[in-house]
Amino acid sequence: MKVNCEKLCPDWPCEQPDEFKDIWVVMETDEHGISEASLQMLTPAKKIQSKKPEEKIVAVLIGYNIKQYAEIPIKHGADKVIVVDDERLKTYYPRVYGQVIVDLAKKYKPAVILVSATMKGREMGPYIANTLRTGITADCTDFDVDEKTGDVLMIRPPFAAIMLAYIKTPFRRPQMGTARPNVFPVPPYDESRTGEIIEEKLETIMDPGMQLVNYVPVKKEEVLIEKAEIIVSVGKGIGSMDGVKLAEKLASLLGGVVAGSRKAVDAGFVDPERQVGQTGKSVKPVLYFAIGISGAAQHMLGVREAGRIVAINIDPEAPIFKQSDYGVVGDYRPILEALIEELQQLKEKGPEAIEELLKE
Amino acid sequence: MRIVVGIKWVPNTQAVRFDPKTGTLIRAGVPSIVNPHDFPAIELALRLKDMYGGEVIAVTMAPPSATQGLEHVLGMGVDKGILLTDRKFAGADTLATSYVIAKGIEKISKEIGPVDVAIFGHETIDSSTAHIGAQVASWLGWPYVYYARDAKLVEDGKLRVTRQTEKAVEEYEVNLPAVVATAIKALKPRPVRLSYKLRAKIEKPIIAWNIEDLGLDPRCTGLKGSPTVVANITWMPEVPRKKIVYTPKDPRDAARWILKQLFSDESVAGFLKKALWGEE
Repeated sequence: MKVNCEKLCPDWPCEQPDEFKDIWVVMETDEHGISEASLQMLTPAKKIQSKKPEEKIVAVLIGYNIKQYAEIPIKHGADKVIVVDDERLKTYYPRVYGQVIVDLAKKYKPAVILVSATMKGREMGPYIANTLRTGITADCTDFDVDEKTGDVLMIRPPFAAIMLAYIKTPFRRPQMGTARPNVFPVPPYDESRTGEIIEEKLETIMDPGMQLVNYVPVKKEEVLIEKAEIIVSVGKGIGSMDGVKLAEKLASLLGGVVAGSRKAVDAGFVDPERQVGQTGKSVKPVLYFAIGISGAAQHMLGVREAGRIVAINIDPEAPIFKQSDYGVVGDYRPILEALIEELQQLKEKGPEAIEELLKE
Repeated sequence: MRIVVGIKWVPNTQAVRFDPKTGTLIRAGVPSIVNPHDFPAIELALRLKDMYGGEVIAVTMAPPSATQGLEHVLGMGVDKGILLTDRKFAGADTLATSYVIAKGIEKISKEIGPVDVAIFGHETIDSSTAHIGAQVASWLGWPYVYYARDAKLVEDGKLRVTRQTEKAVEEYEVNLPAVVATAIKALKPRPVRLSYKLRAKIEKPIIAWNIEDLGLDPRCTGLKGSPTVVANITWMPEVPRKKIVYTPKDPRDAARWILKQLFSDESVAGFLKKALWGEE
C-alpha cells in the first residue's frame, strides 16, 4: 500500500509501510531475569511470522546488567536480539525506557512492536506508539494477518467481553499491540536455537524529569493467581467473609489460591490484585472453581485459558453453567463444607480410595 | 496550582445490552455517566487544590451531551469545565483523542494560565485502554507516572507521587508540569454539593472549544487523525466446555459428584492426586 502523505496529519513523519520490516517484542526484566509475561509475547510474534515468513522476530532487551539474558528469547523463538545494557537505565522511568525504544525503532523501522500489558508495559507502550505517531491496540486476545493487505490484525474485545474487534493500522508503522499476561503461553524452550545478538550503545539519554526517591517492597503473596494451578474463585454470591474462609480452606487443601470476580473485589471479599477478568487478571489454572460467580462476559474473559471450570451456583439460570465444565446447582456453603470433608477423608485414606469413589 | 483533570462521559457499560441477531450494541436508553475510574483523578485534583489553592479545570473531548458530565464534576468542586467538541473530532482513536486533549491543555496554559499538572483516571470502562495519560505526556513532552495513589508538593516545587506496583510502594519526585494517572479506586471521591451546583448554575463556567478554536488541522483529528481502524467486529468464539450441570439431592451428593467428575477427568485427575498426596 502506497500512503499519500498529503492526506496525513502534517505532524506525522511521511513514511511508507513497506520501509518497515520485522516483528519486535519488548522484553521486560526484573531481578529474576526476563519476565515470563514478555516471553509470552513471542507466541503471537510467531503466529504473525507464520503468515509473514519474511519477517524476523526481534527481541528488544533494554536495562542495566541484562546482557546475560540475551540468549533466552532466542531459545524461546526470537531470531535476533537487540540489547541496550547501560547503567543509566538502572532505574526504570517510562519516558526514558520508552524513548530508548522509540530511538531504536526509528533506526531499525520494525513493522510490528508487541509489548506485554504488564503494569510497566501499559505505562510505556502508549508513549512509544504516540511518540512514533502510530497506533496501538491494548489488551489484544489474539493477533492475525490480513491476507489481502498483509496488515496485522489486532484482535480485542471492545466494550464488553462478548464481541471481538479486528483492528489494523493500515497506513502507519510500526503496528503496535499489547496483550495481558497469561493470554498466551511462553513458546517452548529449544536449546538448539541460535540467533544474532546486536548490542546498541546509547549516546545521550533523556532526562527522566522525575526521580525515584523511595522504594518499599511489598510482601509477596505465597502464590500469585497468575501462576496458580488451582484457583477457588468467589463471586458476590459468596455473601460474607465466612464464605471466603470456606473457599480458602478448599484452596489450601488442594495447594491452590483464592481469587474473585470484580463484584467480590468491590464488596471487599477479595484483594484487588486477586481479581480475575477483563479489568483484573487473566489466569490459566488446571482447575478453576467458580463459587457464586454468575458468569459475566467480563469475568469469563479472564478464564479462557483455564483447563476445567467447576461452577457452584444457586441460580440454575446463571450464565456460568453454559461456560463451565461441571456445574452444580445449589447453595455453595453446605456443598463446599461437604466437599472439604470428602477431600479430607480421601486424603487420609490415600489414592486407593479413588477407585472406590468412582465405583459408586 | 492549576490542575487539569481529564474526564470521559461514557455509556454505563453495566446497562448496555447487545442485539443477539446483529451483534450490535443497543445504546438506546442506556444512561451515560462520568467514567467511574475518573473519580480518583478528580478527587486527587481537588485535594491538591484544597492544600495549595489554585483551580481545577475538567477537560473532556466529546459531543455536547457530555456537558452533563462536566456539570456533575463542577458539583464536586471543580472550578471550570472545557468541552472540546467538533464533528471533526468524531471517530478518534486514542492517538487522535490525546492529541486534541493535549492541544486543549496547551490552550489553557496560554489563555487561562499555565497548567502545573494534568491528572487522568487509569482507564475508561468503555474501552479500557489506559492510553490517554501516556499519550498526552508524549504530546506535551511532560514526565508522567501511572498508578498514582496520592500526591503532594515538596519543597523545590516538585510533585511527590506515591504509587503501588505488584512489587513495591514507590515514591517519585516529579518535575512540573507533569501528567499523573491515578490507580483504580485509589481515592474515595467526595460527594456533589448543592452549593457548588448552584455556583455552577450561576457562573456557567463551561467553555466549548472547537477545531478552529484549537487551530487544528482536520487531518490530525477524529477518524482521519487515527492510525488505527476497526476492520471488523465479530462474536467472540466460545471456549469449548463440557457444560454438564447437575442438580444434587443434598450437599454430600453434590460433593461426591464433583469429585467423581474430576477424578475421572484425565486432564485434572493426576493433578489432584499430586495435590492431595504429593505424587501421581
